[in-house]
Amino acid sequence: MADVNETARQALKAAMLRLARGDRSALEEIYRATEVKLFGICYRILGDRKEAEDALQDVYVNLWQRADRYDPERASPISWLATFARNRALDRLRTGKVRAGAVEIDEAAPIADTAPLADKLMIDAEREARVHTCLETLDTNQRENIREAFFGGRTYVELAKAQDVPLGTMKSWIRRGLAKLKACLEAGE
Amino acid sequence: MSGDPRLEELSGDELLAAEYALGLLEGEELLAARGRIAREPALADAVARWDRRLAPMLDEVPGAKPSADLWRRIENEIDARGPALEGGNVVDLGQQLTRWKWATGISSAAAAVALAYLAFAPPSGPASAPAAISAPLVASIPIADTPLRLGVTYLPASEEMLVSASGLTADGVHDHELWLVPGDGSALQSLGVVVPGEERRVPLPADIARNMSDGAQLLLTREPLGGKPADQDAGPVVAEGSLQLI
Repeated sequence: MADVNETARQALKAAMLRLARGDRSALEEIYRATEVKLFGICYRILGDRKEAEDALQDVYVNLWQRADRYDPERASPISWLATFARNRALDRLRTGKVRAGAVEIDEAAPIADTAPLADKLMIDAEREARVHTCLETLDTNQRENIREAFFGGRTYVELAKAQDVPLGTMKSWIRRGLAKLKACLEAGE
Repeated sequence: MSGDPRLEELSGDELLAAEYALGLLEGEELLAARGRIAREPALADAVARWDRRLAPMLDEVPGAKPSADLWRRIENEIDARGPALEGGNVVDLGQQLTRWKWATGISSAAAAVALAYLAFAPPSGPASAPAAISAPLVASIPIADTPLRLGVTYLPASEEMLVSASGLTADGVHDHELWLVPGDGSALQSLGVVVPGEERRVPLPADIARNMSDGAQLLLTREPLGGKPADQDAGPVVAEGSLQLI
C-alpha cells in the first residue's frame, strides 16, 4: 500500500500547487481524491449527513477561494486538508446550527463502506506517528476525553456534563493528559 | 509543580494551543483564543504544531462517500460567485490587503458614541463628489479581541461587494452588521450582516453603490442574531476601517 499511497500523495501535492496558481481543473482532481476521507471526517464530527455535506461543500469552495493558504513546507496536503475539514466541521458545530448532543451516528442514512478508497490517502501510511503510541501511555480518563474532544468535537464543558464530573476535574484530567502527551511526542521529535 | 509527572498540567500558551487544536474551548474563551492566534504568529505556530501532531489520528475515521451530486453543487456555488473570485484574483487581492495597516483597539463605548453622532449629524459642508472609479476599493478590518479580520472589496464596474469573513466563527449569540458611513454625512447605510466563515458576493443597490468611494468609512457593529432590529439603535461598534483604492 505504501507505493499506492506515495503516488496518491505526490499527485495530490501537484494538484494543490496547480490550484494555488488558479488552475480550476485541479480542484476536481483534489475533490475526487479526497472526498471520501474528508466527508468521513465531517460526518464523524457532525453526525448528520446533510450537515456534513454542507460542511464539505464549504471546505472545497473555501479551498478554491483561498488556495494560497496551504504551505507545502509545513504539512503534507492530506494532513492539511484533513485538519482543514475537521476545523470547518467544528466551526459548523459551534455555530449552534447542529446541536452538540446530536453526535450519534444517523442510522437512517447508512454510508457505503469505502475504506479501500480512503486507504490510498493515509496521513500516516506507516502508522509511525507517535501520537498513536503516546495516547496509549495516558490514563484511561485522560485518553478517552482527549479522543472524544478530537473526534466528537466536545468542549470541556460538554465533556464534564456528559461524564457528570465537575468542570475543574475534567480540565485537570485533560491538562495532565496533554502534558504527558506533549512530553511523549517531543521525545520522538 | 512537583516532580511527579502524573500531577503536572500543561500551562500557558502551550496549553492554549493544545486546547485550541483539540477544540476544547467555547464561547468567549474560544473567541479570545482566535483573536490571539490571529495576532500572534508564535501562538499560531504552536497551534499548527499540535494540528500536525494530532492529524494522524484522523486516519482512524472511516471514509464515507458524499452524495453523487455534491461536486456539481460545489461547482455551481463557485460559478455563482463569478469570475472575480476565480483563480489568482482573490489571492492577489489578499496579498495586497496584508499591506494595509489599521488602527485597532478602539473603545466600544467611544465608538458607540461616534456612531450615534454620525447617525444623526447634519450634513457638514459640501461633500466632494467622488470621481468615477473603476479600480477596486478594499478595506481590511481587524477587530480587537476577536478572530475577525473582515475583508471588503468593492468592484465599481459591476457595483458588487465581496465580503470575506473567513476567519470568523459565529458565537451563536451575535451577528455582526457592516455599515457604510456616507461621505456626505447622511445616515449610515447597512451593507448587511456578515456571514461568519464565508466569502460572499453582494450586488449593491445604486443608492449605496454611489457612496462607496475612496476613503469612505466602514463600521462593524455587534447585533442580535439577524442584524439590527428595525426598532432599536445599532449595537456597539466593534471595528472600523475605510475603503482605499488599490
